[in-house]
Amino acid sequence: MKIIAARLALLALVLAAWEFLPRYGIVNPLLLPPLGDVLAMLGELLQRAQVREALGVSGAEVLLAFVVAVPLGAALGVLIAESDYLGEVFKPMLFIVFAIPKSIFLPMFILVFGTGFQQKVAYAAFTTTFVVLMSAAAAIESVKQDYLLVARSYGATRIQVLARVYVPSMMPLLLETLRISMIFNFTGVLIAEMYASRTGIGHMIASWGENFQMKQLFAGVVLLAVAAVVFNEMVRWLETRVSAWRT
Amino acid sequence: MIPAIDIEGLSHVYGGAEGAVAALEDVSLSVAAGRFTVIVGPSGCGKTSLLMMLAGLRAQSRGAIRVLGGPMPAPDPLRVGVIFQEASLYPWLTALENVEFPLSLRGTPKPDCRKRAGAMLELVGLSGFGERYPHELSGGMKQRVSIARGLVQDPPVLLMDEPFAALDEQTRMTMGHELLRIWSTTSKTVVFITHSLTEAVYLADEVLVMSARPGRIIDRIEVPLPRPRSYDMMATDVFGRLRDRIWQQIRKSEA
Amino acid sequence: MTRSSPALVRRSILAALLVAWELVPRTGLLPELFLPSLSSTLSVLWNDWQTYGRALLVTLYEVAFAMVIACGGGILAGAVVGGFARLRNLLLPVVSSLYAVPIVILYPVFTAWFGVGSESKIAFAGIYAFFPVMLSTAAGIQTIDPQFLLAARSMGASLPQQIARVIIPASLPTVFAGLRLGGALAIIGVVVSEMLTAAAGIGYLVTLNRTILDSPRVFAAILMILLLSIAYYLLSRAIERRFVVWQSVGKPLQPAQSTV
Repeated sequence: MKIIAARLALLALVLAAWEFLPRYGIVNPLLLPPLGDVLAMLGELLQRAQVREALGVSGAEVLLAFVVAVPLGAALGVLIAESDYLGEVFKPMLFIVFAIPKSIFLPMFILVFGTGFQQKVAYAAFTTTFVVLMSAAAAIESVKQDYLLVARSYGATRIQVLARVYVPSMMPLLLETLRISMIFNFTGVLIAEMYASRTGIGHMIASWGENFQMKQLFAGVVLLAVAAVVFNEMVRWLETRVSAWRT
Repeated sequence: MIPAIDIEGLSHVYGGAEGAVAALEDVSLSVAAGRFTVIVGPSGCGKTSLLMMLAGLRAQSRGAIRVLGGPMPAPDPLRVGVIFQEASLYPWLTALENVEFPLSLRGTPKPDCRKRAGAMLELVGLSGFGERYPHELSGGMKQRVSIARGLVQDPPVLLMDEPFAALDEQTRMTMGHELLRIWSTTSKTVVFITHSLTEAVYLADEVLVMSARPGRIIDRIEVPLPRPRSYDMMATDVFGRLRDRIWQQIRKSEA
Repeated sequence: MTRSSPALVRRSILAALLVAWELVPRTGLLPELFLPSLSSTLSVLWNDWQTYGRALLVTLYEVAFAMVIACGGGILAGAVVGGFARLRNLLLPVVSSLYAVPIVILYPVFTAWFGVGSESKIAFAGIYAFFPVMLSTAAGIQTIDPQFLLAARSMGASLPQQIARVIIPASLPTVFAGLRLGGALAIIGVVVSEMLTAAAGIGYLVTLNRTILDSPRVFAAILMILLLSIAYYLLSRAIERRFVVWQSVGKPLQPAQSTV
């Protein structure tokens, strides 16, 4: 309890600084508008059709990319986890893939798909697939061999093993996979929107920035940050519900 | 002759999650120089706390501790050497460098460090293994290096906190025997903690039995078996009766 | 059936990809606009090495400074937060929640504050890499066996001795992992920000040539970035292996996770 109070106090301190430092001119309010103004602007923005439309577009991209990437990544992850040989072949390559800025492939996606909706979905799905792949493979490998041995020694069929050993054992990790993949997915969509797009909230905050409309920019930043954290915490809460048995 | 270790009315209370916990209650004991004393007791009875205080690593709430006539407010490696359950060898140092470590802390010149450490490794039977890293050594070997490290400054008193607990039973027996061999070449006072009743009787001159928390000394048992000890002593009646007595005492205290 | 070694398969795949890169555009399977041949890409680098070399220097300069922020700050912060239980319990969950926020949304802020030059790139990449390095270091510090310090104290080590001869060597694997992670993420952060709004650097070359549809030049820049990140990865792994030979079994090191 004390810790939660301490954290809330910390948060309150940061928010208070954001409000008072610019308002009293200690920090240049043109560079960092006071929190109150930002929140007021946020309220205003949410009422504009243009903004709502941009949010809708981005939301759709995030959702669609996720729906494509998760099954694809999961399937590939299963393949790599189940076959030791394939695992040995591809894992070192995957480590390198993670070290590369995947944004360098944006031009290729633009060349193939143009600068519209499909390109952003395709790019985000591309980046997210790798994350899902790695996490899914790790989740499968985490199912202890002992559990499988016990199930099989009692004559469980493959489907039973899948449903009654793999799934409950992996559930917390699966949720974590979803949570982390969504972070990457969201980022992928935003980058694609900032890079070469005329729609979406990413593009919108980029152009607010270019035009020095700082209040709008920070309003957008706050909105997206809060959305990301809320989603994250919801999934984390689910994770703890499902993994009460985990050490 | 002053005892090597003299403890009077030792009590220790620490703040646990749900309030004060009495770890030790009015412990008094005395160990003569050159004796091998073993402390046994159920889990959580405070034997490790007792050892920590003897080593100067922890301060007691009440009571007096005297090692070789003087108090132990802080660790004093020239008086007391400590060997822990986990060998705690530093993985970035070779076996030899690990044994040298206490000497290098005191600024002993390199060649002397080498010589002394080498001699200790030979004593514990690991002459050829000085250049190996801990991850290349087995559990038993790691503990031997740990013992060599504890001996390298030639402290008159040696404290050992369940050093063989992480080893399998066969290695444990061999290591116990080895320890007695090494000890017999010195005249050190040893205080040894263990869970194993067999180990206690095999190694000790005297076994101190502690009760469950809060720990108290509930029995002192002399082990009249001759030295050097041998494995077939474990099959004798005397051995069996001593073991049984310890076991009964512990069971009574837990009731 | 004897299977070929995984390393051999990997190298064969790599070779096949390189061959495909050359032949697919040549034979017209894909237009040169979408995929310029490997040879035309390489010839751009060969002929125009000055432009690309200069851009590389700008990028490296930005990466270096970003690393100072991310690794210097991140490792220090991670060590402090990870080392003290009170701080850890207070801050770590907050930081890992913040990790969920796509840092890229701050990029327009940095550009507005610092302009289009190197400063905004350094600031962005520095912050981008800071949190993962801090989290990784905090986690790594906790894997240090607490018995190490107990043993040192029992041997009479003074506080400075404990720090210099136990804590620092024991932290080396974590520090190296932090450097590897921080460098990789700094490169990624710099490249992304150079691609978005810049006037110099390799990322900038990608965007510049894309808008004029000069594919060989775009891919030359892409290839350069690929080589840079792979080179850094291999270099840091090699250094880590060389210096941390004795690394005992601890928590397995995560591959550098990039969100871009």
